[in-house]
Amino acid sequence: MASITITINGQKVPAQTGQTVLEAARAAGIDIPTLCHHPAVKPIGACRLCMVEIAGQRTLQPACTFPVADKMDVKTESPKVVEVRKFVMELIFSERNHFCMYCEMSGDCELQALAYKYGLDHMTYPTYVKGYPVDASPPYFLLDHNRCVLCRRCVRVCGELVANHTLDMRQRGASTMVHADMNLPLGQSSCIACGNCLDVCPTGALVDKRSAFMARNAQTEHVRSVCSQCSLGCGIDVVTRAGNLLRVQGDSEAPVNRGLLCRKGRFEPLYEKRTRLLAPLVRTRDGGHRQADWNEALQTAADRIRRTPAAKLGAMASTRATNEALYLLARLFVKELKAGQAGLSHPVAPVFSDKIPDRLEEIAKSDCVLVVGADPARDQPVASFFVKRALDAEGRVIVVGAPESALAELADESFGMEEIRKAVEAARAASRPAVLYGAGLSEGVLEELKPLAGKALLLPLQPGVNTFAAAKFGLDRVADPSGLDVLYVLAGEEDLGDRILGKIGKDTVLIVQGCYKSSLTDRADVVLPMAAWAERSGTLTNTAGLVQEVRAATEPAGASRPDWEILALLGERLGIKPGASLEEIAVHASRQLQ
Amino acid sequence: MVETLYRANVLICGGTGCTASGSEGVLKALEEEIARRGLREEVRVVQTGCRGFCAMGPVIMIYPEGIFYCQVQKEDVPLLVEETLVKGRVVERLAYREPAQHKAIPHYGEIPFYRKQLRIALRNCGMIDPERIEEYIAHDGYAALTKVLTEMTPDEVIAEVKESGLRGRGGAGFPTGLKWEFTRRSPGEPKYVVCNADEGDPGAFMDRSIIEGDPHSLIEGMAIAGYAIGAREGYIYCRAEYPLAIKRLQVAIRQAEEYGLLGEKILGTDFEFHLHIKEGAGAFVCGEETALLASIEGRRGEPRPRPPFPAVSGLWGKPTNLNNVKSYANVPQIILKGASWFNSIGPARSPGTAIFALTGKVNNTGLVEVPMGITLGEIIFDIGGGILKGRKFKAVQTGGPLGGCIPAQHLNVKVDFDSLREVGAVMGSGGMIVVDEDTCMVEFAKFFLQFATAESCGKCIPCRAGGRRMLEILTRICEGKGRLEDIDKIRKIAAGMEAGALCALGQLTPGPVMAALRYFEHEFIAHIEDKRCEAGSCKELVAARCLNACPAGVDVPAYVSLAAEGRYAEALEIHRERNPFAMICGRVCPAFCEQRCRRGDVDEAVGIRAIKRFMADHERKNPWTPRRLAEARTERVAVVGSGPAGLTAALRLAQRGYPVTVFEALPVAGGMMAVGIPEYRLPRDVLNEEIDNIRRAGVEIVCNKALGRDFTIDDLLDGQGFRAVVLAIGAHKSMRLGVPGEEKEGVCQGVDFLRNVALGKAPDVKGKRVAVVGGGNVAIDAARTALRLGAAEVNVIYRRTRQDMPAYEEEVEAAMEEGVLFHFLSNPVRVLGPARVTAVEVQHQQLGEFDASGRRRPVPVEGAVFQLSVDFLIAAIGQRPDSACIDGSGVEVKKDSTFKVSGELGTSRPGVFAAGDAVSGPASVIEAVAQGNRVAWAVDTYLRTGRQEKYDSRPVVHFPELTWDMEKYGEAGRIRPRYLEVKERRGTFREVELGQPEQAIREECRRCLRCDLEWLESHPAARQQEGKRAAEGV
Repeated sequence: MASITITINGQKVPAQTGQTVLEAARAAGIDIPTLCHHPAVKPIGACRLCMVEIAGQRTLQPACTFPVADKMDVKTESPKVVEVRKFVMELIFSERNHFCMYCEMSGDCELQALAYKYGLDHMTYPTYVKGYPVDASPPYFLLDHNRCVLCRRCVRVCGELVANHTLDMRQRGASTMVHADMNLPLGQSSCIACGNCLDVCPTGALVDKRSAFMARNAQTEHVRSVCSQCSLGCGIDVVTRAGNLLRVQGDSEAPVNRGLLCRKGRFEPLYEKRTRLLAPLVRTRDGGHRQADWNEALQTAADRIRRTPAAKLGAMASTRATNEALYLLARLFVKELKAGQAGLSHPVAPVFSDKIPDRLEEIAKSDCVLVVGADPARDQPVASFFVKRALDAEGRVIVVGAPESALAELADESFGMEEIRKAVEAARAASRPAVLYGAGLSEGVLEELKPLAGKALLLPLQPGVNTFAAAKFGLDRVADPSGLDVLYVLAGEEDLGDRILGKIGKDTVLIVQGCYKSSLTDRADVVLPMAAWAERSGTLTNTAGLVQEVRAATEPAGASRPDWEILALLGERLGIKPGASLEEIAVHASRQLQ
Repeated sequence: MVETLYRANVLICGGTGCTASGSEGVLKALEEEIARRGLREEVRVVQTGCRGFCAMGPVIMIYPEGIFYCQVQKEDVPLLVEETLVKGRVVERLAYREPAQHKAIPHYGEIPFYRKQLRIALRNCGMIDPERIEEYIAHDGYAALTKVLTEMTPDEVIAEVKESGLRGRGGAGFPTGLKWEFTRRSPGEPKYVVCNADEGDPGAFMDRSIIEGDPHSLIEGMAIAGYAIGAREGYIYCRAEYPLAIKRLQVAIRQAEEYGLLGEKILGTDFEFHLHIKEGAGAFVCGEETALLASIEGRRGEPRPRPPFPAVSGLWGKPTNLNNVKSYANVPQIILKGASWFNSIGPARSPGTAIFALTGKVNNTGLVEVPMGITLGEIIFDIGGGILKGRKFKAVQTGGPLGGCIPAQHLNVKVDFDSLREVGAVMGSGGMIVVDEDTCMVEFAKFFLQFATAESCGKCIPCRAGGRRMLEILTRICEGKGRLEDIDKIRKIAAGMEAGALCALGQLTPGPVMAALRYFEHEFIAHIEDKRCEAGSCKELVAARCLNACPAGVDVPAYVSLAAEGRYAEALEIHRERNPFAMICGRVCPAFCEQRCRRGDVDEAVGIRAIKRFMADHERKNPWTPRRLAEARTERVAVVGSGPAGLTAALRLAQRGYPVTVFEALPVAGGMMAVGIPEYRLPRDVLNEEIDNIRRAGVEIVCNKALGRDFTIDDLLDGQGFRAVVLAIGAHKSMRLGVPGEEKEGVCQGVDFLRNVALGKAPDVKGKRVAVVGGGNVAIDAARTALRLGAAEVNVIYRRTRQDMPAYEEEVEAAMEEGVLFHFLSNPVRVLGPARVTAVEVQHQQLGEFDASGRRRPVPVEGAVFQLSVDFLIAAIGQRPDSACIDGSGVEVKKDSTFKVSGELGTSRPGVFAAGDAVSGPASVIEAVAQGNRVAWAVDTYLRTGRQEKYDSRPVVHFPELTWDMEKYGEAGRIRPRYLEVKERRGTFREVELGQPEQAIREECRRCLRCDLEWLESHPAARQQEGKRAAEGV
């Protein structure tokens, strides 16, 4: 890279060798219209809207692929350029149904915006002749070919970034279509419903079903936050209108995922069907529940806890809790109350190397990826994208001890856990090995992996969400709920009934802090309603130890309160004051995380 | 290995073309026959690659004599072996026959098809057994590779190729050496050498022929390229539709490996080179280099923007050199014979040879390799042997579906990369499709556009949608639904595609359409404005080709069909709706209908003119009184001139109710029909009967009244109260020879001569020597008339060849039979004699470059002059209207003296119209009739509305049933004309062509294929219009 100077529209502009004309122009604040271009994927020069005039070139050139050179003279809006640009747009409008007023994307459509910009006020050609079917087979979104401009952003995201290769082009010429697999309805295809194609579609061809026609972008609010569905901690953009959740989009600036999301993070939380807990509950004498106010519920809980000997006191936390909540739980139950049991609802993966990639992109660059005792395609899907990208880049992928996983089908080899040595051999021979491993490694396997610590990237895939932080706070194992008098459960959005109900005694006092009615809350003596993922602020620590801020996008439902707040209030009732505000608690927590 | 020496080698073509015409069977028969006769030790039979002359396949060559046999069938084999291989004699029947003289040419080197060719890339094709590396080696094969590996550094090889000036034969013409150098200099390892053998142009097969006929030349060229650029790995991307080519390549690669010419340590040096074949699935776009590379990599075959160029980032991102088969095949010869040898061939900027697949309407289709710089005309007429069936050349498409058509006026263009581009075509990969007048250029362009759009990869919008939009426009133009602004739209789309498309496929897709527009815009406009397809090929616009070809739009299939049933009166009525002169046209019509008759494509055209004459003559006993079609009107119309245009106009106007007066300068009515066409072709009584028909419609004909002499246009309009005037004054003024002595006594003009004879004032030529100058009908008429007047000797002097004569072929033939002497390629340069002509000095001519009409221009042969003694010299080199009669009338004329008229035949003066030869220049009766119809409609509209409106020239169609069993007439031959014996023609003006018996005529009618039925069935609405339009007499 060397600094050079080019001229754009008569204006001297700095540029770097290796940049394209488009990159240099945009860096200098000069807009060149594009349609097929998207910064996340490789440029293909297909839409021809970014054509510019470059002195010395016989023909117009696409700015998105043409490399800059010193003293290059570029014109981005010359009459010749504008003429071709308008011609191209007229053709796009002639191809399919681009009657904007009927389109979900109207107002937010890149094509429409360009048409306005260049003054296309009528259809030059007789408009589209043929209607295409709308593929509404996927559960969460639909593909409307009538709006498609064949820019292939979706295809490239599906292939280049998600490495799923479900979407592609079929036929040629004017019959070209985007299709899934061998022209299957998307819902029956290999599509994993990650929805990343939705984020890049410039028109209304790929539409989110849930939020369709609910708002134009200008009417919405966007909150950048972090996904709390798995331990990767992907950046999300939560879109709301008037306090209502519309959808989740990828945050393209998030370091971990660079905007990629999976079905679990993007769609599933918006389709929640369970009954929300909207007020604190306390048990009545007849075995039922009655609604209580916060004061009474907290006081009841505090009284029970205070009356119980430390050895008979227990606490269990869902790994989805924020750093602040986990910190408070550890502080209260481990440090102050010295409870006999305090732990997590999920096991913890051992961390034995400092060489943890904090950006998943690094996995994609590996020439040999070992996936040991984990099923990221199921549990941390975004991580699996990067493993598949390594495959696309001709890297080897070896799956150990997860023969049924989706990655095992694609992998070069799939070994049983007892064959760990073979896998380690392969990793050792590689120049940039990477290992992704889960929680269930036996001691023996762990010993085999340890020698790779110096060379390989070692990414633990924590089965929970905020497990890394929990472990740091001392909550580093699964809590045993048996033999306790009082059990405090930070269940959050999880239903931990199956992990607890069979194991606690009939008289055990159960205090549950949760979002939804469940078998556990049904049994609970005190129920403390908690704010759900989009309603709370705080921080989360991902599986690589990266602490990221979670921001509330909506108000807590009913009387529910954020996880940390409930614990802070409980602490007050117990005479413990770990911090008055979220910020204060966060400072304490982060200090402990370092 | 000891090779047997043979007495004779029989080379039989095993190329795809000859295989298709049965060469495998011939090969087998040959081998059997040779074995049967025990000649196996003496005669060897070799199956070779393509020799190029595919139209004549299967072809055989016999060495050492170099005997060339063509269209050999397996039945011919015993004779061939007996005569040629045993007795050493040529079998004339199997030799090539030159189409013009029909002379047998048994030796390869003398066949015109090969004579102008120069074979470098194709040097071994058809000469060696492609499956035996030994034969290639024996023809200096691999000597170039040896030379580069042992004597040259890679840089020296590149320098040599650069020096040679070789340009990429794939079509774009990028300098090959420069490309090699870029790849060599490009950082990155390994480097690749790739060959583009994805030949996708329809009809182009030169790459296939090289691979099938001489695969080692490609392999050697690629190995040299590999050495030069530093590659160890090469790919040949060949389409899977070429199974034979792939098989030959596989064999050749294996043999080369066995001989240590491929693989590791080639020829004992450290050079290593491996070749792989990659089969392409046949997408046209994969001929584009980046798409081809994507396809080799296993990705969707689509182009990507360049830069980076393959030389920098090609196959798998590595520096890659990509050339066409022909480029590589040239390399070994360049290395062996040197750069200066190569660049001495052809023009400096495009040295070497070009290979073309010559197809379409030429006599000699096939594969030709010619030195660059040869003219297009030489390829088509000398090598290609001219147009099939002696038809007229219209255009040639070069560069395949992305190229462009080149019309007759550019036949002299040199064939090289730059010159072709200047005329709007491209070299492309070498397809050359020749078309004649039967091809509609709109449809032709549409065909290529259809191909290119179907082959668009769909990646970029300009190509994907632009091509489709343009195709929609062309489709509607071909269906007669076009609008005039469509032409601008086509231009706009073309400009957008050219500037906006990603790869050459998209950028060049509009090429054929733009070239067609550049040279044949009038055809587009005719389709749009007149709903007319001149060539008769656009289905929607053409009910039947004959009907379409007739200038007056006479419904030929209808009257032929009625005549077949003996319903002559009805047939004649249909004829007269559009042409009142059935008896005349039954005798003198050039019969455009017959020239386009579809039966003519099968065997010979239906004898339409003979049918017409019979039906018209048959009804002579029932004189025709034309029907009045409209109420009587009061506006009087004057028609000046009583030729076919004037009389038709007068008739039509009278039918529409107008009082019409025709003014004729001569003492007789009929114009050129009376005083131009001699009586032996058109008897006076026939003419007069048809003129009487028109009088019966109410037309008044006043003779001996000449415009400009006896009256003016002002007199007519202002003085005599005519409301409209139709000027149909014909073209009676002869063009002068422009040679010294032309003013001498005894020199006259052709039309003057004929007129004087017709008016009974014939000059006394009895026993005299007469010479006529010219090649048109007037010249032939004058010559035959002079003969009938008793001239001792009649000569026709014509500066071109007989094929180029505009006169009707049958007239020329008759003149020859009657004893007229012809001097072709001769041009009078001086008239000799004291006061009266005694001789004419004639200069021999030879054929030079092509002129705008597509004929070779005659140029004088220095010093070749002879004298012809004559007493009379008749100049008949063309006529033009005598426009002196309208001087000062406010009617404008053009440079060539024809009237300046609007599309509706209005002159520059309101109320004054013009028609006939005075508008079009000298033409036929039927063309004048067509204009007469048209001008009458224009006058009618003008008088009723005061405006000029567009004439709907679409013919009125009729729906007679098919009444005969076509199967029965499948083999029937065309009716033979009957003529007066030659000896009976002298001294009389009796009609030469005789009538036919009724039975023969009715049989002839049934040879009609009724092409109109298909159109009629798909246009039921036309049936309703039939009656309506016929009643209106449109």
